[in-house]
Amino acid sequence: MTMLRQGDFFQLLKSSGHNFATYSKSLDTFSHKTDLPLTTGTTVLAVKYSEGVIVAGDRRATAGNMVMYDRTDKVIDIDRYTIMAIAGVPATAFEMARILEHSFKYYRRSQLQDLSFEGKLRALSNLLKENVPAALAGTGAVAPIFAGYDKEREATKIYFYDILGAEFEGVEHAMSGSGSSTIKGILHYINRWGGTPINKFSEDEAVTLVLRLLTSAAEFDAATGGVDHNAGLYPLVKKITKEGISIIDDSNLKSIFEQRVLQNV
Amino acid sequence: MYEEPYRWVEAIENRRQYLSDQLKKGTPIVSLSCGDGILVLTFNRGTLKLYEIYDRIAFGGIGHPADLEKLRFQLLDLAHVEGFKRSPSDVTGSRLVKYGIAPVVKDAFEEVFKAPYISKVLICELKSRPDSDHFVRLGYDGAFDESSELAIAAATPEIESTMERYLKGSLKEITLDLNSVFLSALFTWAVGGLCQTEDASQSNLSDPSKYPDEKNIIEYLEMSLRDMSLECVFLNRTASQASQYREIYRDELVTLLPKSLQYLIK
Repeated sequence: MTMLRQGDFFQLLKSSGHNFATYSKSLDTFSHKTDLPLTTGTTVLAVKYSEGVIVAGDRRATAGNMVMYDRTDKVIDIDRYTIMAIAGVPATAFEMARILEHSFKYYRRSQLQDLSFEGKLRALSNLLKENVPAALAGTGAVAPIFAGYDKEREATKIYFYDILGAEFEGVEHAMSGSGSSTIKGILHYINRWGGTPINKFSEDEAVTLVLRLLTSAAEFDAATGGVDHNAGLYPLVKKITKEGISIIDDSNLKSIFEQRVLQNV
Repeated sequence: MYEEPYRWVEAIENRRQYLSDQLKKGTPIVSLSCGDGILVLTFNRGTLKLYEIYDRIAFGGIGHPADLEKLRFQLLDLAHVEGFKRSPSDVTGSRLVKYGIAPVVKDAFEEVFKAPYISKVLICELKSRPDSDHFVRLGYDGAFDESSELAIAAATPEIESTMERYLKGSLKEITLDLNSVFLSALFTWAVGGLCQTEDASQSNLSDPSKYPDEKNIIEYLEMSLRDMSLECVFLNRTASQASQYREIYRDELVTLLPKSLQYLIK
């Protein structure tokens, strides 16, 4: 009861009989003895720019060699100021996002104050740790990015996690997913020798950058969807500023893509 | 000693009297639908009385703060587990009360060796249209009643009826915005407050001609604003985010109040 009064939704959920970790011995056996292709494959990234953080993700979900879906939302609002960008097994990642969303709401409503940014980071870390058996069994690995505006410190922040729940701050940027190795070097190069540091970029420049990066990732990683200009299918791109989260709509993405990605400028 | 039925009935009657006495000093809560959402308004003496339960659900309570907190937490737990396991759309005020806290409150009331809840709770639920908005009022004995358009929680059923009649009489139509309905809600609260005073309790409250006039209402509001804090929340039908509950803070309250009262807002 004491735990519940402290506003811990995850404990409340467990006490209600909900079983978060999807791992079980039978699942483990199932996973190893068959070549069950789990839905996975992604490129998500977050970069700091002059007004805050841009978080973007491609929209492809794959299972083995098969493209399962081309409209996956991997950049998920958790509350008005934080975003989780998911890479890994969607079933687990989406459930983590839903638990986090409810955890933050439950804490705010029960304790009558917002959970601190550090508390939010810890909540995600705890979920990942609970998920370790499923992650190691190969049935539920998730390596997310968590970005948001820290109201106490009046700063935007980016963190990324490994599948075991370790959290690392991405001072300037972070990326995750199967296509991340392609863009990691590009981002480092642009930030160091590109003339203007990325954190000085305008919003349009930052959006251009992430569209180019996701296009590059798709070039070398079959599991990354990139941009399907003909189908009008663009990555999900959101910005976080001190005013909160807002989405960069498809018409803006189309315009930037046509002018600054398709054209060799 | 309570194995004899009449003794049990007597004990329950005593308990009913005790709880009614305890609630007598509780200031009313007024809630009503308008085009933009639901306004919930009350005054407090330091401890908040209005809270967010879920995305579209507000809680108002009069009574013992510790009992209200217990009920609030039960509602929060029920709402969030339900919202997670099913969906936010499945969390309704009606279900939370009927199958959640009403049986708990009733059991506590009828268990004569157990402490009852000294509480009267009002649950306001925002829907997509004003005429679909839903209100549930839960008494200290577990009895509840449901309504649409408006709901009042006050010390006695008589005061609640008077306030409801006054509020209905002061509203022209339901599809109004917050600015238009705010004064009606505020004046209704004052009518309820005046009804609770000793003199008014002797008068015939069912007669509209006996309602306090505007001068009395303003004087009562001036006194209330000096002694207490005006507390208002709004369930915003047009909000883009999932949570449609927002508190109305000082700056906005000043703009909503009559000019003669604005300087009293703390």
